[in-house]
Amino acid sequence: MTAPDVVRQRTAAATTASAPSGGPAPAADRRRAPRSAEAVQTTASLLALLVLAVVFSVLSPQFRTLSNVVSIVDAAALLAIVTVGITFVLVLGAIDLSVEGLIGACSMTVALLVANSRTGLDLGLVGVLATVLLGAAFGLVSGLVATRLRIPTFMTTLGVNAVGLGVATLLFAGVRPVIEDAGLRAWASQRVLGVTVGSYIALGAVVIGWLVQRYTRVGRYAFAIGGAEDIARLSGIAVERYKVVAFAIAGAFYGLGAVLATAQLGSGVVQAAAGVNFSAIAAAVIGGTLLVGGRGGVLHSMIGVLVLTVLQNGLILTGVSPYAQRAVEGVIVVVAVAAATWPVRHRLGVVK
Amino acid sequence: MSTPARHRRGALAAILVGALFLSACAGGGGQASDDDAVPASTEAADEAAADGGVEEAAAADGTCAPDEITLIGQVRNQTNPYEAAWLEGGDAFAESVGLEQQKLTYDGDSQRQQEQIRQALAGGDLECTVLNVLPNGDADTAPIVVAADQAGAWLVTQWNKPAELDPADYERWVAHITYDGVESGYLIAQAMIEAMGGSGGIVALQGVLDAVAAQDRFAGLQRALEENPDVTLLDDQTANFDRAQALDVTRTLLTAHGDEIKGIWAANDDMALGALQALEAAGRDDVAVVGIDAVPEAIQAIQEGRMTATVSSDGPWQGGVGLAMGYCAATGELDLASVEHRAFFAEQFLIDESNAADFADPQLDLAEFECGNVFDRATGPVSP
Repeated sequence: MTAPDVVRQRTAAATTASAPSGGPAPAADRRRAPRSAEAVQTTASLLALLVLAVVFSVLSPQFRTLSNVVSIVDAAALLAIVTVGITFVLVLGAIDLSVEGLIGACSMTVALLVANSRTGLDLGLVGVLATVLLGAAFGLVSGLVATRLRIPTFMTTLGVNAVGLGVATLLFAGVRPVIEDAGLRAWASQRVLGVTVGSYIALGAVVIGWLVQRYTRVGRYAFAIGGAEDIARLSGIAVERYKVVAFAIAGAFYGLGAVLATAQLGSGVVQAAAGVNFSAIAAAVIGGTLLVGGRGGVLHSMIGVLVLTVLQNGLILTGVSPYAQRAVEGVIVVVAVAAATWPVRHRLGVVK
Repeated sequence: MSTPARHRRGALAAILVGALFLSACAGGGGQASDDDAVPASTEAADEAAADGGVEEAAAADGTCAPDEITLIGQVRNQTNPYEAAWLEGGDAFAESVGLEQQKLTYDGDSQRQQEQIRQALAGGDLECTVLNVLPNGDADTAPIVVAADQAGAWLVTQWNKPAELDPADYERWVAHITYDGVESGYLIAQAMIEAMGGSGGIVALQGVLDAVAAQDRFAGLQRALEENPDVTLLDDQTANFDRAQALDVTRTLLTAHGDEIKGIWAANDDMALGALQALEAAGRDDVAVVGIDAVPEAIQAIQEGRMTATVSSDGPWQGGVGLAMGYCAATGELDLASVEHRAFFAEQFLIDESNAADFADPQLDLAEFECGNVFDRATGPVSP
């Protein structure tokens, strides 16, 4: 039986987990254990979200309002898109630290390609597509350098991050391009059923990410590679090629995230995604997409995105002093990660 | 399967690419090239440090010919309009005296700033070198001052300086230029309160909480609030001077306080612009938004009536005048002994709808860089 068959069978069999579960188990008798552990873990992540929501609802009447729910959804949009992308990399057991540089470069690019205050271009949707492709190209470079030259992804993506920031600074050239494209501005200001267009785009991105992860070869092989790379290679999977594709997919999502961030900020900004890389990794881990690879998935990560967004929103609404917010946030993130990974801690092995 | 030889080749390639990326890390942040600016080697740096005292004696009276002078401008990075404009002002001055400004950027990295200063101060003829420096933080100023003084280079610092350090105690430290943050915070608060009609609720977006500039600006807001008891501060949050964070925070504050918010006070323009985006996304156009720095986008927003006011420190002037002060000291046209306060607050300008057009296309007045005028914008000494 080849690895993809195992994955397909397991996916079909999984009724408790809502997303494709972990990599192929080496032997039939060990299959049951990780699946139930993962179900427990998903429950733990959801529980963390629920606890936060209940606590904040009790402490702040404003938190329970419909308008605040809308505000949370809008605030989660960017982090959701980026986290979908980074999930593809984390499932491989790799890491991606290029998010901020890549989004900086893509933010300047999209701002200069659509109608703006600096260049005479007015490419509209074509400009948006080109930006997503640029993101994918950056991801492709990360993947190629990591696999062909055998450099840890930690290092290659940091390098690509620096290159991205450099490109962004060159494009910035001292003057910010202000977006004048009405279509792109609408992503941030136009509301359908109370929620901004950007949030629907984020929802679309999550669905696409989930479909790609569940139904395409690159999505399913990623779990096999992250779960046990040697076994995947021995089964005949072209590990390197699928890794590169996974990085490119992640890059495309960052590119889309850059477009949304630019629309929200109203102009191309080099630092459009400051701090988002850490948040995205934290969100994925809280949701159960573990750094060791082979576990979790797009939907899991989305739980983490909601946990972080609710946390940031709730801390402000409950009137926690801005001086203490950072520290409180850090403590809660660590507790949430511990709670989410508790059921599977014995399987994590060595912690580095 | 790989043979050992292939492994070795792979490792070699890995090292090469690693080195490539490291240099990308080192040079990627700013477009100003460090390499062509400072040709000196590290050994030379050590030498200079060792016998810097001898060189100091060479031209202590400051009689450099104008074409012997080297002009160096150093800022954090060029990713924000303010510092980019600063360097442009330096270029404009350099051009006016037939020289070229060497531009250094250190990406907000204190270590890198010190390293660049060490390299810039390596080699000879330093008595005709002029440095206009934005220290990364208060703690970074002292080593820069000592290094420049020992090497005999003329130094102007801006914004950051520990209180106990005084240019008057150093021969080569021409001046320290800074701005009264309390005054900036107060000026924009008054403009905001006036636009609100003197009463209503406001929220404040603070900068990096442990930065002196952020604290001073907030103190200015509090002073204005004391004078206007009808204005209430509904909430104050930090957005770390960052536009994206300000967008997120304002979105939440709008949910929390809704229509009570009549004004948003931000400790810099980037946050004000982020807040403006959140307001526009929420369909609110009745809120007075103010910031500090006078970045071009903010001035445009003020012209369009979307934003209320900002304060300008005049970045191009800062970039030019720092070099001009050093240039004048080096040529001997400026006698430092005649300057009363060399650590001073410089004049700042409130920009609102009435005068935004004048600042939209700032014209550098080169007369302000003439040796008799370089201290004209001083409004008072920096109190220790």
